[in-house]
Amino acid sequence: MSAALIRHVLRRPGALAGSLFLLVLILVAVFADALPIDPLGQDLIASLEPPSAAHWFGVDELGRDIMARVVYGARTSLFTAAGAVLIAGAVGVPIGLVAGFFGGWRDALLMRFVDVLLALPGILFAMAMIAVLGRSQAAALVAVGVTGIPSFARVTRAQVLSLRKRDFVAAVEAFGGTATYSMFRTVLPNAWSPILVQVVVLSSVAILLEAALSFLGVGIPPPTPSWGEMLRTGKAYLHDAPHYAVLPGLVLTLTILSLDAIGRALAGALEQRQDVSVGLGASGGRP
Amino acid sequence: MIGFVVRRLLQLIPVLLVASLGVWAMIYAVPGGPVGMLVGENATPEQIKAVTAQFGLDQPVLVQYAAWLQKAILGDLGRSIHTREPVLDLIAQRLPATLQLGLAATLVGLVIGVPVALASATWPGSWLDRGLSLWSALALGVPTFWLGILLILFFSVEMRWLPSASGYAPLLTSPAEALRNLLLPAVTLGVYVSGIFARFLRAALVEEMKADYIRTARAKGVGEREVVGRHALRNALLPFVTIVGLMLANFIGGAVVTEAVFTYPGLGRLLIQAISTRDYPLIQGCILVILVIYVLINVLVDALYAVIDPRVEYA
Repeated sequence: MSAALIRHVLRRPGALAGSLFLLVLILVAVFADALPIDPLGQDLIASLEPPSAAHWFGVDELGRDIMARVVYGARTSLFTAAGAVLIAGAVGVPIGLVAGFFGGWRDALLMRFVDVLLALPGILFAMAMIAVLGRSQAAALVAVGVTGIPSFARVTRAQVLSLRKRDFVAAVEAFGGTATYSMFRTVLPNAWSPILVQVVVLSSVAILLEAALSFLGVGIPPPTPSWGEMLRTGKAYLHDAPHYAVLPGLVLTLTILSLDAIGRALAGALEQRQDVSVGLGASGGRP
Repeated sequence: MIGFVVRRLLQLIPVLLVASLGVWAMIYAVPGGPVGMLVGENATPEQIKAVTAQFGLDQPVLVQYAAWLQKAILGDLGRSIHTREPVLDLIAQRLPATLQLGLAATLVGLVIGVPVALASATWPGSWLDRGLSLWSALALGVPTFWLGILLILFFSVEMRWLPSASGYAPLLTSPAEALRNLLLPAVTLGVYVSGIFARFLRAALVEEMKADYIRTARAKGVGEREVVGRHALRNALLPFVTIVGLMLANFIGGAVVTEAVFTYPGLGRLLIQAISTRDYPLIQGCILVILVIYVLINVLVDALYAVIDPRVEYA
C-alpha cells in the first residue's frame, strides 16, 4: 500500500479514528501477556460487580475480570479474522482469476460452484459446516473462511474481466507471454486494489460472524475468551449486571465500525485514483 | 413472461441438485456416519448390521441419494431423532413465525430507509446527507445481537414496557399480542436493513438524477423535491425491489441471531436447537427448506423486476 493511499484514507475523520482504535486493539491483543491482567483468575466474592477502579469493565459471573477477557477475546477475534480472510482469499482469488481470465466452461463451472456457496445466507452456511465438523476453533475458522470465498471470487473475476480488455494485457500476449505469465505477472498485480478493499470488508464480516456463532453457542468453544460468548453469557445477567453484555458488545461494535469506516475510505480513495468500481457488499447481505 | 420464469426455474435445478447433494452428504461426514447416529455408540455388530439393512445403507451411494431425494421432493424429510415427529411438521410449525418477523422487519426497514434515502438524495453532499449516511453506517455496523440486548435492557428491564422474551402470536387473530412480541425483534432487524435500503436507494437516486429527463423536469421548473420524490424515485424503485426481495429471502433462516436474542420461536432457532442436540435429520430438513425458499424468492424477485419494468427483456 502506497504512502499516498494511506494519507488519502487517513484524511477521513472516521477512518482515522477507526485506524487508531484498531491500532490500540491490535497492540493490546499482541502484548496481552505483558499486561497486568488475568482472564482466568477468579475472585468469586466480586462476582458480577459493576465497573470499578480495580475492574474497569466489571466482573463476570465466575469472578473473572471482564476487561481482561475482552482483551484476550480481541486476540480470538483478530486471529479468526486473519485466518478466515486468508482462507477465503487463498481459494477465492484464484477462482476469480481463472474464471475471469479464461472465461468459457472454466468460468461457468467455477462460478456455479460459487453460486452454490451463496445458496444459503452466510451464517447458516457456517452453522451447517460446524454441525458437520463439530464445534472447535478450527471449525469456526474454516466455516467463516469458506463463507468469504464468493466475495473474493466475484470481485477478482470482475476486475480481471475489465483488465483483460486492456492494451497492456494484449501486448503481453502478442509478445508470446504464456497464459500463466499473463495471469499472474500482468493481470493479478493490477487487480489488487478491489481485493484489498475486500480484505478489509471481509475482516469485519469475519469478526461479526465469529461473534454471532459464539453468541449462538456454536462458535469457538469455551474457555477461550470470545466476545460473542461473553455477550451470550452476559445476556443471562441483564437484570443484575448490565455491564457484562454491554461493554464487550461495545468493543465489538467499535471494532466493526472502525473496519467499515476504513473499508469505505479505502474504496473511495481507490475509486478516485483509478476508475475501478468496487462492490462494497454489505455485511451479511448479498451485493 | 411465463417462459422467462420457467427458464430461470430450470437454471435452478443444477444449483439445487448440488446443494441438496451437499445437505444429504452432511450425514456421512458425521463421526460414525448415519449408522452410528441411528444406533448410538454402544451398539452391537448385529444391531449395526440390522440398521444398515433396514435403512438401505448397504445400497450404492447414488441409489441412497436418489431415494432420499425422491422422498424429500414428496415432502418426507424423515423424523426428528429426539421428538420422533416428522421433520416437515416441525418446520411447518415455525414457518409462520419466521415469515411474520421477516415481513415486519422489512416494513420497519422501509419506513426508516426510504425517507432517509430521499432526504439524502435531495440534498447530496449536505450536512443532512452526511448525518444520514452516518446513520446507515451505524445501522450496518452495530451487531444485531448487541442492539437487541440494548433494546431489551431499556424497554424490558428498565421501563418494563415490552417482554424480553418474545413468543409468537398470529397477527391476524391476536394483533395486540403479536405487536407486543414482534416490536423489539422487528425493530432490531429493521434498523439493520434500513441501512442497506437507505444506502442502496440513495445510490440509485443519485445515479438517476444524472439522466436527461431530470434536466428536462428541472428546466420546466419542477421543484427539487418533486424531481427526486416523483421522477427519480419511480425509476430508482425498480432495482430497489430486488434488494428488498433479497433481504426478505435472507430473513428466512438468516434471522437466526435475532431470533436467539429474543428467544423467538422461528425457523432459525429450530435449526440452532437441532445443531446443539445433533438432530441430523432435522438439521438437513431445516437447511433444505430454507435453501429452497431462499432460492425461489430470488427467482420470484427477478420475475417481479421484469413485470414492473417493461424495458427488461425476458430473454
